[in-house]
Amino acid sequence: MNKFIHLLKKEIKELVTKQLVVTLVFTMGIFYMMGTITKSEVKKAIGKQDIAVLDQDGSELSKSLVGSLAMVNYVPKAVAASSSREALDIVRAGKENVLLVIPGGFGASVAALAPKPIETYAFIRTFSVIGIRRSEVLKGIIEAMNDYVSNDYLRARLPGADPKGLKHPIVTRDFVLIKDRMAEGSISAIAGFVSSQTMMVPIILMMIIIYASQMVISAIAMEKQNKTLETLLTVPISRTAIVTAKMLASGLVGLLSAVFYMLGYRYFMSGITGSIGAAAGLNAVVKQLGLSMSGSGLVVLSLSLFMAILCALALAMILGVLAEDFRSAQTLIMPVILLVMIPYFLTLFSDPKTLSLPAKILLLAIPFSHSFLAVQNLFLGDYRSIVFGMLYMTAFFAVLVVLAGRIFSSDKVLTMKLRWGKKKVVL
Amino acid sequence: MASVLSVQGLTKLYGQLEALKGVSFEVGEGEIFALIGPNGAGKTTTLRVVATLLSPSGGKVTLLGRDLKTEPEKFRENISYLPEEAGAYRNLKAEDYLKFMAGFYSDDPVRTAEYLKRAEEICGLGLRLKDKVGTYSKGMVRKLLLGRALMTKPALTILDEPTSGLDVINSLEVREIIKRFAREGISVLLSSHNMLEIEFLSDRVALIDKGVILDSGTPAALKQKYKAENLETVFRSALR
Repeated sequence: MNKFIHLLKKEIKELVTKQLVVTLVFTMGIFYMMGTITKSEVKKAIGKQDIAVLDQDGSELSKSLVGSLAMVNYVPKAVAASSSREALDIVRAGKENVLLVIPGGFGASVAALAPKPIETYAFIRTFSVIGIRRSEVLKGIIEAMNDYVSNDYLRARLPGADPKGLKHPIVTRDFVLIKDRMAEGSISAIAGFVSSQTMMVPIILMMIIIYASQMVISAIAMEKQNKTLETLLTVPISRTAIVTAKMLASGLVGLLSAVFYMLGYRYFMSGITGSIGAAAGLNAVVKQLGLSMSGSGLVVLSLSLFMAILCALALAMILGVLAEDFRSAQTLIMPVILLVMIPYFLTLFSDPKTLSLPAKILLLAIPFSHSFLAVQNLFLGDYRSIVFGMLYMTAFFAVLVVLAGRIFSSDKVLTMKLRWGKKKVVL
Repeated sequence: MASVLSVQGLTKLYGQLEALKGVSFEVGEGEIFALIGPNGAGKTTTLRVVATLLSPSGGKVTLLGRDLKTEPEKFRENISYLPEEAGAYRNLKAEDYLKFMAGFYSDDPVRTAEYLKRAEEICGLGLRLKDKVGTYSKGMVRKLLLGRALMTKPALTILDEPTSGLDVINSLEVREIIKRFAREGISVLLSSHNMLEIEFLSDRVALIDKGVILDSGTPAALKQKYKAENLETVFRSALR
């Protein structure tokens, strides 16, 4: 045991370099900075929006229409121009993303039930999500205007009637059910919110797996490149202890790095999802449906992540034996990346339950898939699938560790190489 | 002289290639035994098998009565191996590297300190031991590794081209150190292409070619047998 701890300490010492610490601190700093900027940008995006308005009509209706916009989260700003072309030039040079041009005679045309079209101009000033969202406010503006005009019209024609009831005689109350839990809310809003809250789990999982695997493969490749492996293999310690120490050290350092990344990423994402969720008033509904992660859920998820990491490390250990040097180790990480990308995209863009049988078999055969699916299964209360996934990963890990142990206890650790030519044997 | 290492009928197959075809020899206590032969003769394979890096396909290898196949870890407690192309962990300070390697042989701080002192004497690197291995020249690394190999005074030291990469002065020093340790009872199994080195160091020599030991004996006996002035001529005559 002492020898194992001795080796483990050295492995950790080799991995925790100044470069690693600097990279982690730098990454945290970048995430913090990006998170702060994003948070303030999102606040701006979901806050009051400035809208440029050229009112060529000047009627009572057009004036009250512009005034009504102020009541629904917009700040109308009048443009002093004689034509829509001139107004466009003014707004183009300004900061507003939307220009409304209410034509002359608009009020009279509405009264005659033959409304003249209001021209709307959306300025795309950036292709960022927040930038596009600012330009998309047009839809809301038109809805607000239509509502205002039609309500006014109905009130004038049918005094005492409720315009809302007349326009929408059929109303719905939307409920969402997950197993025995139920809450009132829109399914698309809830699904969108939950996916935005959990989208970081697979990303982090992918990051940890790739990062830890790369460390193991590189650790073995560096032993080979620096010609230290042969000496290490002749010291009085079991080969299984060597394999385990390398895996454990990489796993611990990988996990530590992942925690740093996760904290940074969480701060960054909370700037977007937190503000939007609160604005949409979804937090209570999500809680009612049990879609917020509980303490026990986090433990299960962490266990699942840990099993996935162990599988990745064992696989990387075997791949590392094939590496001749550090450079070839970078290529050998590819199979691990592929095995992570397949479940990542399959679970992101498809419903695993409706996949074709071969695709489903492929998905479930990849051990990492079970960690990707664990989040969904946790929310859906499908604990059977979670337990099956963890058992499968445990079995997969056990097989790989035995295989890695055998390789390290045999000549293969020195002779097994990925070579596209004739094998070279030193006699 | 009591036998420390016994190699009997050792065979090694790499797929279809038979690298060793029944190699047998013994190394006595404090004896320096050398393997000489052309490239591809099976010297490194023999050394690697004895160092427990490669598993033998057949035959028996025992060290102080312990079988290599059945007790590999116990076997390793009594050997140290210096490969021809060896390195040390570049991120570690040289003294930390020695401490790390010593840690596999003893938990006792007094004994570890003794190992480190011995290694320092062998290396002769002085204050440079406080520097990282990555800053060392090839020759310095070689001396550090020799210190590592001999510091625990193993029953058997396996040296593959021990002076590889060293200049003349350092080579002479290293040879003296190996001789001194052999006198103190450490057995040495070595391989070298330098016949002068072999002649200077070895008590006995085995000539190996194509996985077979052609002849063995003391350098003097071999020279007499082949009527040669030096081992180079012996080597050439034996191969004919």
